Amino acid sequence: MTGEGVQSSALDGVETFSGVQNPHWHRIRSHFGVEGFGVNAWTATEAGQTLIPEHDEVGASAAGHEELYVIIKGHARFSVDGRELDAPAGTLVFVRDPALKRTAIAEEEGTTVLVVGGRPGEPFAVSAWERNSEFLRFFDSGEYERAIELLRERHREEPESAGVLYNLACAEALAGRPEDALEHLARSVELDADFRGFAQTDSDLDAVRGDPRFPAAV
Amino acid sequence: MSDAPYVVSRLDELERLSVDDEGLTWRPVRRHFGIQAFGVNAYTAGEAGARVVEEHRDGHEELYFVVSGKARFRLGDDELNVEAGTFVFVRPDALRGAVASAAGTTILAMGARAGEIFQPSGWEESFAAHGYLRAGDEERGRKLLTDFATAHADDWIAHYKLGVFESVAGRKDAALEHLIRAVALEPQAAEHAATDPDLAALREQPGFASAVAGQTQAGGEGT
Repeated sequence: MTGEGVQSSALDGVETFSGVQNPHWHRIRSHFGVEGFGVNAWTATEAGQTLIPEHDEVGASAAGHEELYVIIKGHARFSVDGRELDAPAGTLVFVRDPALKRTAIAEEEGTTVLVVGGRPGEPFAVSAWERNSEFLRFFDSGEYERAIELLRERHREEPESAGVLYNLACAEALAGRPEDALEHLARSVELDADFRGFAQTDSDLDAVRGDPRFPAAV
Repeated sequence: MSDAPYVVSRLDELERLSVDDEGLTWRPVRRHFGIQAFGVNAYTAGEAGARVVEEHRDGHEELYFVVSGKARFRLGDDELNVEAGTFVFVRPDALRGAVASAAGTTILAMGARAGEIFQPSGWEESFAAHGYLRAGDEERGRKLLTDFATAHADDWIAHYKLGVFESVAGRKDAALEHLIRAVALEPQAAEHAATDPDLAALREQPGFASAVAGQTQAGGEGT
């Protein structure tokens, strides 16, 4: 339903980016045009999948949000600040401290987590990672050259964004451009050391993993 | 309210506060966690036909998610039946409200004003106070609103809400005292007091009209 000032939709009707071997990202904020706070959801496509990648909210591309995770379906296992937390449907996990590392693994297929966020004391602004994630629609369709085109444009606008460089490297690796991928991956890790860790298990980078220039795990 | 760096709770464990005569049961999520960046609350219906979203207009844009059960929303002039798993997004000022179509229906409501720093809504204190009053813990409710009025000494709404609380609690002299203070701070408080259903018993008191209306005049209107 869409009326004056009103929209409704089932979760399945919200625009979703799937990716390969990744949880489905339901783009709730952008779907409805929410501007007062951040809100998104993720659904696991298989048990054992990383539903919320480990992150904090103080990195270069983070928004400094306090975040409320609501497990609306299935069963997840969270880790916050190194502490394991069992989180079946109906659990609320609120992370106030933006410096705390948090992650979640799906215990069963279909597990869905709703995430609401904002930065206290500031009007809501769309976070950099969300602004920079439009390229994912081309990962879903396998149109890697179009993803590269979009990410290069973002890179020109934000040349020091490690996240943009990392995703550009992924797209280039998938598109069969190993030299470009390795160059951008190295620059990404140089700007934000967290991306060295992400690269170790990211299947998007498999095509360049065997190269001696690939960033080694610490 | 917690200030811990992180908090984990089950929705089932959150307080259930009955806050009106239509069956609205408030689950104060934001207050429970001490969230400061956005509004978030849940409402659970004990039975079909109970209210799960108060009918109101709001300066917040609000996103409702039906966690369980089903509900019938009123959205402006339209009605919409929704099942669990549905989102309903309402922009500021549009009329919204919902009634449960099944027992146990729970709705999560998230909200904030776009482009503004989030401030917790004043109604939360009032909801909590009346919830405690209905649950038989009158003193806890009174303390909540008294502390709020003390912290916001120049806010007429804080004094008005304390006056309403005292009226509902049957303490008419105390209610009048706080309403007079509210009208002294803001003459339009008298207009609200003239029609507020929670003040019906108080309006029958001989001193009500002269006390509250008299303050209106003292506040600069009608002279």
